Parts: sequence; structure tokens; C-alpha cells
Amino acid sequence: MLELAEWLQTTPVSVTIQSVQWVIPLLQSIHILMIGVVFVSILMIALRVLGRVRADETFEAVWRRFSPWMWCGLVVMALTGLVLIVGEPVREVTALSFWLKMTLIAAVVICTIVFARTVKPAAGAADPSFSFATKAAAVAALVVWIAIVFLGRAIAYDAAVWGSWSPSA
Amino acid sequence: MADIVASIAEILESSAVGEWMRMSLRAMPVVEAIHVLSAAVVFGTILIVDLRLLGVPSTRRAVTRVHEELVRLTWAAFGVSVVTGLLMFAPNATTYFRNAAFGFKMLSLLAAGANMAIFEGRTFRSVTAWDRDVPAPFAARAAGALSILIWGGVIFFARWIGFTKGYDFAVPDDVNFSFPAQ
Repeated sequence: MLELAEWLQTTPVSVTIQSVQWVIPLLQSIHILMIGVVFVSILMIALRVLGRVRADETFEAVWRRFSPWMWCGLVVMALTGLVLIVGEPVREVTALSFWLKMTLIAAVVICTIVFARTVKPAAGAADPSFSFATKAAAVAALVVWIAIVFLGRAIAYDAAVWGSWSPSA
Repeated sequence: MADIVASIAEILESSAVGEWMRMSLRAMPVVEAIHVLSAAVVFGTILIVDLRLLGVPSTRRAVTRVHEELVRLTWAAFGVSVVTGLLMFAPNATTYFRNAAFGFKMLSLLAAGANMAIFEGRTFRSVTAWDRDVPAPFAARAAGALSILIWGGVIFFARWIGFTKGYDFAVPDDVNFSFPAQ
């Protein structure tokens, strides 16, 4: 993996990303703006599951309002994230925070797809009151997304945060 | 005025909090992550209100209702951003104070505040006439569009500060981005 990253870092596309000064700050800014779009969309959906916002609207309406922003924001984050990885591949693959972040993203996205396919269709009634398990899952999803943001920031500090657990230490 | 801010920056930098933020290995990433998260909530919740002013996705839900259900969350997240922002500012306050990207960010925040004050103080007074089912007046739509642009600018300049390492707006030509950015 490290050899692959080291090779990637010498490719023309990676060198361009590294050397054009504004590319990485601009992509990171877009990445952060998308955290706002995605996290707040999930927050609104989760708070609706908990019955804390938009209780006057059906769950279906709240899902229709916010889930497209969540999915589109995730796609933009994946694309900007991919370019950032190509720009700094060694920094990413030698960071424990990066691998933990990718694992949590894969897990929470799969859980969200399962939720959209199984739990959500059952919430078709005008005023669904979700089970304790679904409410707990909504809170868990928020906690996992908060952890993902923390891990994203921790990539820059991997050795300081994880000590000897960090491959870069 | 600038002298007063400069002396506040000196006091912050020599304070125990500034010293702790400089010396602690883990404090900075944790504080930065909380700052990113709270800024994301500020931006995302404001975006929902701004889009509603622009009639996106529709004008069906009352402006007052959209505003009311989010405004406390926005201010709470903004409060967290200010506290964590001061914690990040304190360890190198006197250099951030002279940093151009930091200055642009503060000016953008002032512009966002002015845009909000004009909207809340003037445009929003007539909200009952355009609360729902009709397009908001031009002043309200303009405030919404401006707000999205200005907050985007705040986040861009904020991220840029990290690439100046707190000292200088100009990034050296031979800068190597593979070292940890602050």
C-alpha cells in the first residue's frame, strides 16, 4: 500500500495537485462546506425520527426534503476527498485516522442504505412514531458522523493523537 | 482600536490557556474538530433558511417556522465556534492578528453579521405578507443569496489560514503540502 502511495505521489496528476497552491485549500474548503450540508441533512432526518423537528410533516416529506442533499453532498465529499488523497497519498495511507474514517464511512453509508430500503417504507403512515431501536439508530448515526469529522481532522495530527499506534509514528 | 485588539492578542498569547494550547499535543486537533463541526452546523442550518428565502425547494413551509426551528441551533453552534475559535487563536494570537487570511475571515464574518442585521431589522418585519405560498421580496432573496456566498467565503478564508501557518498570507512556491497542515 505504501509503495502504491509513493508511486501515486510521483505521478503528474498528483504533482500538479501538490504544486498548484490553491487546489488543496479550495478542495478542503468545499469538503468542509459539504460537511455542513451532509451533517445538517442527517441531523434534520435524525431529529425528525426523534420527533424533535417538523413533527407537523410526515417522515416521508422530511426524507424527501433532506436525503437528496445528503446523497449529493456525500458524492461531492467523495470526489473532493479522492482528489485530496491523490494529492497527498502517503500522508493518508500512513494515518490510522484515515483508515478508521474510511471504515466508519463505509459502515454508516451501508446502514443508511439499509434504513432507506427497510425502515423508511414502513414509515409511510401520516404520523409514524418510531421504535426505540430506530431512535437509538438515529442517535448512533449522528455519533458516528461526529467521529468521522474528528478522524478527518486527526489525519493531520496522526502521530500526536495515536502515538505508537500511528503507522507514521 | 487596532492597538486595543493588538494588546488583547498579546494578553491572550501570554495567558495560561494560550500556553496550554501551544504545549498540549492533543488539544489542538480536538478543538479544531469541534470548530469544524460547529462551523458546519452554523453553515448548514443557515443554508436551510437561505434556501427557503430563495424558494428552494418550495415556498410551502412558512419562513417563520423554518427560521424558528433552527435559530437556536444556529446560535448554539455559533457560540461553540467562537469559544473553540478563541482557543485556536490564543496560542499564536499576535501572528494571527497580522495574518491576511485571518483578516479576510473576520471581515467576512462582519459582512455576514451586517447582512443578517439588515434582514432581521428591516426585511423580516413584513414577513407576514410573504410567510408562505408566495415568493419572498427581492430584499429577502438577495439576503439569502448573499448569506450563502459570504458564509462560503468565511469557511474558505478560515481553511486558508492553516496554509499560511499563521504567519503570512503568501504560501511559498516550494511549499510541501505533505507535512501536517495546522
